[in-house]
Amino acid sequence: MTGINKNNKCRRIRGWLSDAISRHFGPPTAGFNRNPALLGDANWLQKHIANCPRCQRRLVSYGKVNLAISAIKSQPHKLDLLMCANAQAIGVLKHSLRRAQKARKLRTIRPEPKLRERFGKYASSTANMAACIAIMLLMKFGFFSSMDTFETQGQKVIKQYYVSRVGNDLADEIFPTDTKLSVNPKNSVPLQ
Amino acid sequence: MFGRTVSYGLFWDFAACEAVSEDQRWILSTMHKHGQELITLLWRILGNEQDVCDAYQDTFLQLAHYDRGQRPEHVKAYIFRTANNVAISMLRRRIAQRKRMSAAIATGKNAAEWRSGEYRPVAGSPAKELDSKYLQESLRRYIAQLPEHLRNVITLRDLAELSYAQIGRILGISAATARVYRCKALQLLTMWMGKEEEK
Repeated sequence: MTGINKNNKCRRIRGWLSDAISRHFGPPTAGFNRNPALLGDANWLQKHIANCPRCQRRLVSYGKVNLAISAIKSQPHKLDLLMCANAQAIGVLKHSLRRAQKARKLRTIRPEPKLRERFGKYASSTANMAACIAIMLLMKFGFFSSMDTFETQGQKVIKQYYVSRVGNDLADEIFPTDTKLSVNPKNSVPLQ
Repeated sequence: MFGRTVSYGLFWDFAACEAVSEDQRWILSTMHKHGQELITLLWRILGNEQDVCDAYQDTFLQLAHYDRGQRPEHVKAYIFRTANNVAISMLRRRIAQRKRMSAAIATGKNAAEWRSGEYRPVAGSPAKELDSKYLQESLRRYIAQLPEHLRNVITLRDLAELSYAQIGRILGISAATARVYRCKALQLLTMWMGKEEEK
C-alpha cells in the first residue's frame, strides 16, 4: 500500500517537475510559489523529495540542465565576431555584392545592444520617478480639491451661523457677494 | 568565329551574373537585419569563433544559391533553420573527431602505462562535474543527439531566445506544439544527463 502511494506521489511530482520546467525553466519552487494550487502541497512534496532518492536524482538532473543552459547563455563572444563573420561571408558572395556600399558597412559593423537592453538599466529608476510624479499629481489634485471643499463648507457653516444669529443683511455684509453662497436662511438649520 | 562566340558567351554570363547580383542585394539586408541573432545562436551552439564564422558563411552561401538566387518566401525561417542544421552538423563532426582523438590518446597512454605496470582505469571526478565547460560541452553533445524536431525547438527557444510564436512560424508548427516539443526535449536531456551522472 505504501509502495503504491509512493509511486503515485512520484508520478505526480514527475508531472509537476516537467510542468514547472516547461513553463518557467527554473527551480520547481519558483513554479510552486506562483501557483497557489501547488503551494498547499509544497510541504509534503518537500518531505517526499527529502526521502525519495529517485525524485532527488530527477531534481538534480533538471538543475544540471538548467545550469548548463545558463552557462552557455552567459558565455560572451568577442565584440568583433559579427564583423569577422560578415567579412568572411561577404567574401564568398558575388563580386558586385562584395563591392556594394552595404557590404562595406557590414564588414565593420559591431553588435549593438537592443533598445530594451540599452535602456534596461534605467527602467527601475524611470518607473520610480513616474510613480513619484503620479503620486504627487494625485496628491496635488486630491489635496487642493479637498482644501477647496473644506473652505467652501466652512464658509457655508459660518455664514449660516451669522444668518441665524444676526440676520441675513448683516451676514451678507460680513461675507461679500463675490463669494456668494447659496444659503437659504429659511432652510438653514440653526447651529447650537 | 569561335572566339567571337566565346566572347559573346562570356559577355552574356557577365551580364546575367550582374543581373542576379543586383537582385541579390536583399542578402546583404538580411545579413544586416538578422546577423546578430544568427551569430548569437551559432556561438551558443558551437562555442568556437572560427566554427561560428564558417557556419555563418555556409548559411549565407546556401541562401545565395537557394533556387538559382531567388529569395525564399520566409527568409528568416530559412536562415535560422539552415544555420541550425549547419551548426549541428559541425558540432557532430567535432564530437566524433574529439572522440576519436581521445580514444587514440587513451589507447596510447594505457598501452604505455600497461607496459610500465602503472595502469589504472580513469574515474569521473566531482570537480569535473562542477566544471562549467564540461557541463556546456555535455549539453551540446546531448542536444546534437536529440531528434531533429525536438532539437530545433530547444535551440531556437533556449539558445536563440525566440518566442514560441516565432519558433512556430519558423518551423511551421503551432506555438503549443513548440511548447510540447521543448518539454519533451528537456525531459530527454535531463534523463541523459542523469544517466551520465550515474555512470
